[in-house]
Amino acid sequence: MGEAKKSLTGESFVFGDDVQKRELLEAAFDYRGDVTLELASGEKLEGYLFNRQLDRTPYFVEMFVAGEATPRCIPVDQIIALHFSGKDAADGKSYEAWKSKKLKERQEESKKIESEMKRAGLLD
Amino acid sequence: MVPLSQIWTVASYVLSKKIKGEKRYPLVLMLEPLFRCNLACAGCGKIQYPDHILNRRLTPEQCWAAADECGAPIVSIAGGEPLVHKEIDRIVAGLIERKKYIYLCTNAILLRKRIDLFKPSKYLTFSIHLDGLKEEHDESVCREGVYETAVEGIKEAVKRGFRVTINSTLFDGANPQRVRTFFDEVMSLGIEGIMVSPGYSYQKAPDQEHFLQRNKTRELFQQILREKKKSWKFNLSPLFLEFLQGNVEYDCTPWGNPTYNVFGWQKPCYLLQDGYAKSFKELIETTPWEKYGFRSGNPKCANCMVHSGYEATAVNDTFGSWKGFVKTVKAALS
Repeated sequence: MGEAKKSLTGESFVFGDDVQKRELLEAAFDYRGDVTLELASGEKLEGYLFNRQLDRTPYFVEMFVAGEATPRCIPVDQIIALHFSGKDAADGKSYEAWKSKKLKERQEESKKIESEMKRAGLLD
Repeated sequence: MVPLSQIWTVASYVLSKKIKGEKRYPLVLMLEPLFRCNLACAGCGKIQYPDHILNRRLTPEQCWAAADECGAPIVSIAGGEPLVHKEIDRIVAGLIERKKYIYLCTNAILLRKRIDLFKPSKYLTFSIHLDGLKEEHDESVCREGVYETAVEGIKEAVKRGFRVTINSTLFDGANPQRVRTFFDEVMSLGIEGIMVSPGYSYQKAPDQEHFLQRNKTRELFQQILREKKKSWKFNLSPLFLEFLQGNVEYDCTPWGNPTYNVFGWQKPCYLLQDGYAKSFKELIETTPWEKYGFRSGNPKCANCMVHSGYEATAVNDTFGSWKGFVKTVKAALS
């Protein structure tokens, strides 16, 4: 379905205006990796941005900061910069890429996932 | 056969909602207690998250609260792979206490090892993910040998007296004759019935090119279901199968299968992610439902014919009028 979008991984943005800010926060919501938000207070928060309210007040984003149990709700007006700091988990895993791999490579990849899960105690 | 008690529960639930004049009510809660899975299927967009998100789990208490809050008579436990959740037995037991009909969706890799955690109940069904015969399924889940493992799990569950169904997603290129053979093969395992649905593009799924378009879906299901065999039992509304063949036209009922997961109540549905609500009430009241579904013109919904959106429409049609009920009986007998 069309050409693959360029990954935002590693990109950083200081917002020029509110329109750009909204677009970039929307992209961060769509991104399947961690992002880092720089706040006006100087604080930097890295985590997964899983929700946003950008179409009506109060404007906010919600983020699961790695290592914290409960999500943080961050007012949009406190965010001054955004960095796509984590790896996009949906990037580079196309079906065609999977198909083009040789069977042996696919089996190796599958075994790798299996052994990682076992090490993490998520599989018997 | 689906137990009569389940049919009665759903029928009386829908009728009571209609009598009360409730416009939007849930039929099936899609409960995702985790996103972690022991497979990485090309057609799945549910598992692409950073590790710290994949490691999060809903507690049993959160799962029960979600079921209580939304009130749907059926709970489909999906994910991720629910059998990876260390408290899945407690989650299931608590839902059975609440008299919820549970479809525990699993790839069955762990089923034989974990089956002792569960007791057969009319409330519990193992819904085993199988996307076709061995060749098709192993390709779909990107791992060799999974079909055989799943079949072993099915046999064990059937032997122990559990309710077992197959949940099958068909992708572009599916061979109708192979699908018919697959239906024969799974029914011979002694399962209760088959759930089948065309796949649809999760926005984040690696495979974006093999999801079925609407006209192709109709052609495929017409070919598969032509001269439907008596031995095939479907765990679906007869009218949904008519819809898949293009014999009736429906629009989506996205609130029919609300999704609850580690992020909250997903807007608007199981397949699309447009944000989250903190409560079921907030989900129902703040989601702009008119912007979703085939007739809305939303391009994200243009080709979707998935059971999670349209099964509720079919059920509403069945119980919405005598005409709908008669249509269902006719479809069931055809």
